Amino acid sequence: MPLIKTPPPHGGKLVDRVVKKRDIAEKMVAGCPTFELKPTTLPDGTPIRHVYREIMSVCYGFFSPVEGSMVQNELERVLNERRLLSEWIFPYPILFDISEEDYKALDVKEGDRLLLMLKGQPFATIDIEEIYKIDPTDVATRTFGTPEKNPEVVREPFNEKHPGYMIYKMHKPVILAGKYTIVNEPKFKEPFDRFWFPPAKCREVIKNEKKWRTVIAHQTRNVPHVGHEMLMKCAAYTGDIEPCHGILVNAIIGAKRRGDYPDEAILEGHEAVNKYGYIKPERHMVTFTLWDMRYGNPIESLLHGVIRQNMGCTHHMFGRDHAAVGEYYDMYATQILWSKGIPSFGFEAPPNEVDYGLKIIPQNMAEFWYCPICQEIAYSESCGHTDAKQKFSGSFLRGMVAEGVFPPRVVMRPEVYKAIVKWWKVYNYPFVNRKYLDMKNKELEIDLPAMEVPKA
Amino acid sequence: MPHYISVILDDERYSKIKGTPLEEKITYLFGGALRSLIVEVPEEKSEKILKAFDKARIDSRGYIEDIPVAFRRAVFEEIAKAKSLDVIDKVLERLDEIVEAAKKEDEYIPPPEIE
Ligand SMILES: [Zn+2]
Repeated sequence: MPLIKTPPPHGGKLVDRVVKKRDIAEKMVAGCPTFELKPTTLPDGTPIRHVYREIMSVCYGFFSPVEGSMVQNELERVLNERRLLSEWIFPYPILFDISEEDYKALDVKEGDRLLLMLKGQPFATIDIEEIYKIDPTDVATRTFGTPEKNPEVVREPFNEKHPGYMIYKMHKPVILAGKYTIVNEPKFKEPFDRFWFPPAKCREVIKNEKKWRTVIAHQTRNVPHVGHEMLMKCAAYTGDIEPCHGILVNAIIGAKRRGDYPDEAILEGHEAVNKYGYIKPERHMVTFTLWDMRYGNPIESLLHGVIRQNMGCTHHMFGRDHAAVGEYYDMYATQILWSKGIPSFGFEAPPNEVDYGLKIIPQNMAEFWYCPICQEIAYSESCGHTDAKQKFSGSFLRGMVAEGVFPPRVVMRPEVYKAIVKWWKVYNYPFVNRKYLDMKNKELEIDLPAMEVPKA
Repeated sequence: MPHYISVILDDERYSKIKGTPLEEKITYLFGGALRSLIVEVPEEKSEKILKAFDKARIDSRGYIEDIPVAFRRAVFEEIAKAKSLDVIDKVLERLDEIVEAAKKEDEYIPPPEIE
């Protein structure tokens, strides 16, 4: 077997649509009509998505080769075959949606450039190629699949209890399609700023600073307990002639659900794993991607593959119930996709074995638990003492945290727990609650420098 | 099938049941790093609990999780009082009071005093 090397970006080239020169940006936006970005909300006002996160992930190349909001033919292709018009695989509709009222008030047409404002400042532009309408419920249903059409892995029809389904269902019906360009680069707040490694930068750090030839990606939206740590360590034993050189933690940062840990605690909790030597920083680094998680299990895993290949990873670990919520999908849906494909979603073979597919190599992992007989954290496919297993249950840990019990270090590292407590003191609450959601929705993860828009 | 509630014993709670028959019922988890008492809850009573707290759920091990701190605290108080694990009826008698206390937990849970 030849040595594994960093794969090329998905689609061949990293998308970079961030204008850094102020004079060029000003010329681009002079005289443009403007539109203040709004969050997508549930009928009760709960924010569930902010399109700014998608614009960031597109323009900084996380979603390469996607360059903007999809035209109608491309949307259809993604929904039917998970392919872009350029043939490259891509899992999700990426859409710039506005309401009928906003569309009327805006009075824009194909060929126009619209300046998108965020927190009152210029942020990005969209060069409108096409304007069309969608039926949001239809898009939502087809994005995630149905038991009839996708019998291999869909177990229950998606409904309003599924957060990703609701994100698409609450999309507004008018789609402006076209390329995004960031014209006013946002500044990340602390602590996000030190975890911000867009693909080009991440590849550079992997190559020149970390000097990793092989890197395995770890998906997270959680504060790590020792079960996660063992998953990372053991999955990293894959590689080629030696274990993977690096472990890249990539947290998905976006709209939260009540009961989740705050984003800040998630990032600093993972950072504590390397800072305090549980996996030393020479081997481990923490990053994030802005995305309002759709909980699409196998579909989400494709996006994870795209993002992490673009960031320069050679491998990606996938557990059971990957990016899942509820029982809509088979608990092994992601592993089925990456081991034999899911034809009804357009994959006769795994995503890394089809034309225009991914190059990142999947590492499907089972479970870790504490075994009192082995007296160690054991791998479910090794340990034969299934009846004695003591699972690392996330909700059990949340209960312990809420009660103020300092978790034993075999369950959660003390420094990781301290990261939870640090942000608990800031927000007076260890988990996401309505107050945090409202604050987050208003403040976002970034600030925007002031920028004047010249008249045309 | 019955469900379960696990009540973790930190040092303070442990001191309150030390030397009682409950000591023999302690379950040691994670190589002895964690002590807990496990209360069995008949299904019709766990349904009552799930109904009272909208976030509560049964996890894959059959444990009732994501219940308010106030509820677990009440379970321990009743255990310590009765010196027995057969306390779920006593706890459910206090349900209204617990639901009230739990409402405040949506906004504020005091952080632990660690540096
Ligand atoms: Zn064992």
